[in-house]
Amino acid sequence: MSGNTAANSSVNNAGISVGNQAAVKAANWLPQAIALYKKDILAETRTRVAINSVGLFAFASLFLLTLATRGLGEVQSIRILSLPLHGITLADVEKAQIPAWTGPSKLGLLWVLLCFAAFAGLAHGFVHEEEAGTGTALRLTMNPQAVYVGKLSFNLTLLSLIAVLVTPFYMGLTGMHAGAWPAFLVVMLGGCLGLGSTATIIAVLASKARGSGALFGAIGLPIIVVFLMLLLNAANTLYNAEATTMRMVQDFGGLMSFGVLLISVSAFTFKFVWEE
Amino acid sequence: MDQAEVNAEVTGLTARNSDAEARRICIRFREVTHRFGPRSVLENISAEVHTGQVGIITGSNGSGKSTLLRVAAGLLTPMAGEVEIQVDGRTLCPDDRRSAIGLVAPDLTLYRELTGAENLSFFARLRGIDPTREMLIEALTEVGLRGRGRDMVSGYSSGMRQRLKYAFAMLGRPPILMLDEPTANLDVEGIAMVERVVAIQKARPDGGIVLVATNEPRETAWGIPLIQLEATR
Amino acid sequence: MAQTGTANNTGSATAPGRLAPWKIACGAIMVYVIYGSFFVAGGAEGFRVGGDGARAIFFHVPAAILSSVLYFAGMWYAAVFLFGKKQNDMEADAKSGICMELGALFCLLATITGSIFAGIQWGVFWNWDPRETSIIVMLLLYAAYLILRGAMAGKPAARARLSAVYALIALVPAQYLIWAVPRLLEGNHPTNTLRDPAMTSLGYKLVLYPSFLAFAMLTVWLFQLRFRAYRLAASREETL
Repeated sequence: MSGNTAANSSVNNAGISVGNQAAVKAANWLPQAIALYKKDILAETRTRVAINSVGLFAFASLFLLTLATRGLGEVQSIRILSLPLHGITLADVEKAQIPAWTGPSKLGLLWVLLCFAAFAGLAHGFVHEEEAGTGTALRLTMNPQAVYVGKLSFNLTLLSLIAVLVTPFYMGLTGMHAGAWPAFLVVMLGGCLGLGSTATIIAVLASKARGSGALFGAIGLPIIVVFLMLLLNAANTLYNAEATTMRMVQDFGGLMSFGVLLISVSAFTFKFVWEE
Repeated sequence: MDQAEVNAEVTGLTARNSDAEARRICIRFREVTHRFGPRSVLENISAEVHTGQVGIITGSNGSGKSTLLRVAAGLLTPMAGEVEIQVDGRTLCPDDRRSAIGLVAPDLTLYRELTGAENLSFFARLRGIDPTREMLIEALTEVGLRGRGRDMVSGYSSGMRQRLKYAFAMLGRPPILMLDEPTANLDVEGIAMVERVVAIQKARPDGGIVLVATNEPRETAWGIPLIQLEATR
Repeated sequence: MAQTGTANNTGSATAPGRLAPWKIACGAIMVYVIYGSFFVAGGAEGFRVGGDGARAIFFHVPAAILSSVLYFAGMWYAAVFLFGKKQNDMEADAKSGICMELGALFCLLATITGSIFAGIQWGVFWNWDPRETSIIVMLLLYAAYLILRGAMAGKPAARARLSAVYALIALVPAQYLIWAVPRLLEGNHPTNTLRDPAMTSLGYKLVLYPSFLAFAMLTVWLFQLRFRAYRLAASREETL
């Protein structure tokens, strides 16, 4: 053994080159993120697991939803009897007369649908890497930040694609109007950003815990509830003809900021979940 | 606590040159301790490997060979202690460390839904290398997979997958190779390929190190016994 | 070694079997608060059942405030675990977990007492006003955190990292509960109870402030007990 070692040592002295320095230079994180994104797209075009599960879920629930809401077109009758006995104001009565199946509630329900669809499929990205054992190869070669950016971009692409496919059908089936188009697009974009960022960080958490499937829903739900509140708030402003510009900036900005904040916090904390 | 010294038998460093120029790359295990739950897997492991050496880690099943290799590769943060990798006296940061290590291990898998060539070109990009056609063909030829680059990895046999892992580990010619059960699933020709890879790596003019975790007598003869692990309880 | 560490850090210097004076004080104040809520504070005008409905706030408000304070405390320890200088600081993780457990307990108590109060005061046990909505989401966040911790039992290192990250992630929805939810549900919520003149009367202050103190002391006490239990379990595991 010692003879072997001595032989090795003699090899050591043989050459000191710059090649070694080049070999230990780390790759930049952005090209890594782009490479991961392209790999995910390529793999997805082969297996279509994520797009099929999200898409199928979205269209199946769209069908169920239209089936269940057929009768909601008419103005709701006043149900004074169900109101508390004291303190009924005129405003309360007027509120009871507004049809419940309006623009904001239609848009809200579309996003409830998209949320559940996203939760059905977006976990796949991380769960698959962990289950197949390819996560080890990624951890060995990739900067954790790059993994986060790559996976987030893929999830956002997938979600936007589903939203673009489902929304026209939904509009046709429920008669939802877009309102002002630029504002509508801002709300949809803010929605994709918020939902995509939530699903991404929750997916990596769930993929690292036991029984990932059930856990994904359980720990994602409280965050999604708050996100949906912000989205409903923005939807109310979107369909309110009297909404001031200030209010629009506030409410749409509030929705956008949810995604932006969640992405920043996730970017800081991602590596603690990803690495072991 | 003293018992730990017995657990990790540190040998093989006696013949090392004392002058600084010889040790250009160095893997240093410093009192690495890790446990899963209450069960202690690694206790106070300390050792050093230097350029041109092949360090062999042996130990019975469940003694923590793979865990130790994962710690060395930076895949697992130990509960106490650390594994430091130095190049010319400079300690590598996590990013540089990643590109300095090539790993072949049973729990490392490549993408089954991609072809062999696609796998290699993806991981080459992650390593900052532009994957040319020639480079991919060369990498595949080196591990005896020439002509199989267009096939899906899901259609590969287990031996072919093991060969592809070698092509993956050697992308970018990392100065450090870590091999866990290096010849698992390989035929005679494959074993010869691995022995060639190890021999070339340790004799690299620009300096190379190999860490091997194995119990095969034939493989332990490749280098110096570095760490011998014993199963705790 | 582990044993000496435990003995040094159990907090109070009391001999076993004897209570520290502040713990006795905590008990005394609690007894006073229960007495005072019926006999020091009078019935508040504008509240049902002859104003007696208002007496719930002596227990409801401190519990509700503690549940958010404990959330931020738990988050603080989560940040200490992740970004602190000490590597693998399992005690910070334990503290974070304990804060969340206690926070969940107080959140549940605040929800129940609040619902009873709402039922007596407004005739409905649940009305989805901003505070009720916030507390339900808070309860969901706590539950999700504890479910995550439970699912990771047996893998302490991973559990510590994952639950710490979840605590920090949940800060994003939690901060929206403060400003966005009241706006979203504006017009629905009943009169702001705490601005009621009866609430600011001397009798109420004499009970409410000691109640805050007693609840805070009780929380510290519970925290110490849970942390001591954690240390004992940890040292036992080490010697195994």
